[in-house]
Amino acid sequence: MKLSPLTRLRVWLRLFLLQGSWNFERLQGLGFFFALYPALQKLYRGEQLQQVSHEHAAYFNTHPFLAPSVAGAVLELEERRSRGEELPVDIQEFKEMVAAPYAAVGDALFWGGLRPVAAGVSLLFAVKGIVLAPLVFLVLFNLPPMWFRVFGFIHGYRKGIRSMEFLQRHRLPDWAIRTKETAVVLLGGLGAFMVFQQLQVVDAPKILGFSVIPLVILLGLCARRGMSVLVLVLVTTAVIIFVSLFGVDPTGWMSI
Amino acid sequence: MLVVDLILGAVVALVCGLDRVAALQIMISRPIVAAPLAGWLLGDIEVGLQIGMMIELLWLARLPVGAAVPPDDTQVAVAGTVLSIGMGKLLGHNGLEFILLCLLVATSLGKLGQFFDRFARLQNRQTMEKAEAAFNAGDLSAAQRCHLAGVFRFALAALGTYGVIVAGGFLLVPVLSPILLSGLKHSADWIRIALPLIGIAVILGTINVSRSLTLFSASFGMAFLLMWLV
Repeated sequence: MKLSPLTRLRVWLRLFLLQGSWNFERLQGLGFFFALYPALQKLYRGEQLQQVSHEHAAYFNTHPFLAPSVAGAVLELEERRSRGEELPVDIQEFKEMVAAPYAAVGDALFWGGLRPVAAGVSLLFAVKGIVLAPLVFLVLFNLPPMWFRVFGFIHGYRKGIRSMEFLQRHRLPDWAIRTKETAVVLLGGLGAFMVFQQLQVVDAPKILGFSVIPLVILLGLCARRGMSVLVLVLVTTAVIIFVSLFGVDPTGWMSI
Repeated sequence: MLVVDLILGAVVALVCGLDRVAALQIMISRPIVAAPLAGWLLGDIEVGLQIGMMIELLWLARLPVGAAVPPDDTQVAVAGTVLSIGMGKLLGHNGLEFILLCLLVATSLGKLGQFFDRFARLQNRQTMEKAEAAFNAGDLSAAQRCHLAGVFRFALAALGTYGVIVAGGFLLVPVLSPILLSGLKHSADWIRIALPLIGIAVILGTINVSRSLTLFSASFGMAFLLMWLV
């Protein structure tokens, strides 16, 4: 039996709730069953449906934006299994095989790379007081993930087990590294923009702006050594308040 | 009017809170989106934009990878905006220093909010056990309802975090404003840019990129020079 486009659409839409029952034991397991259920219901009946559904509720964890690729491929394999065909790989084994690499690449690409890039660009707008900054963020961030969510699902369903090659062919791990590098460069530009603007507002010597580089690196080292963000925020705020309360104006020293 | 503000804030907290983990994940949960959205509904988008800008980068380096539970910056952003606008009207305060005070209070209380997120995930273990029983009984509709119950729990966790921050803020902000507002008045502009810079520092300290400090220093230096000289 072939799954109808409507059934596949229902599965795809349900994948937006993949992490709805996320827990420390099976992570996205129950969510994966929930997403696949409309298709499983068409392919199996009775005890077989019960057994296959139970299998899909086992431990599962991947990146939510790449989960549609896995789900698409699983649907193709389930179609074949329901027809009684012999599969090249067990479906649970296939899920285990692809989930971890997809999770690693997705985390690095989307969370570690794309998110800081989109945030950096939108903050440039926000610093200028442009109220469309949130929209800039949403558009920039969502275009690539939505492409992966839509075409990953279609590609996964068409190619089945061969959809795994996608990851290698498009060198997604390399893209993740490049996106992270872009994020670092962009954040450097954003930092410079904010500092320059502030120095202009208070009419302070611009040369002071370069002192921000070692300060940021110092704070970064503190974070790397495990100091929490909350502590960094509170300590930095306290220092700035303390300095300004006692009338110390470091920018004034330079203008003498 | 304050009640309306709190309810509107709760709606944003709920919708954006679900986007964090349980549903959609189209990133309306990011502070740069959630805070201006709350601000817009409460009639002052500028306040939301300021708050979103200041905290967007703070916890961006804490990735929701595997079993990690990052701090709930969504609720800090929404509750911080509601406190700034709602309490501002109530106490007759406005301006950057008051926004910063509310934000600092919300950020500190946000740590408590992590408890609700963790609790929802722990409770979902029981959901999993119920789903197991449903599978064994052949009741697949019940197993699906168990999954949806998890979504409901995440919604409650979002509201719980929002409630704790707002309630704590309502107690703390009136007490702290006479003490801290004068100090913040002279330093607000510097703190406003210090917060995103801390976020950038944390990202640099944790991002897995070789030569990240070189790249950052070069781009910062070049961009700064260009703005200075051109």
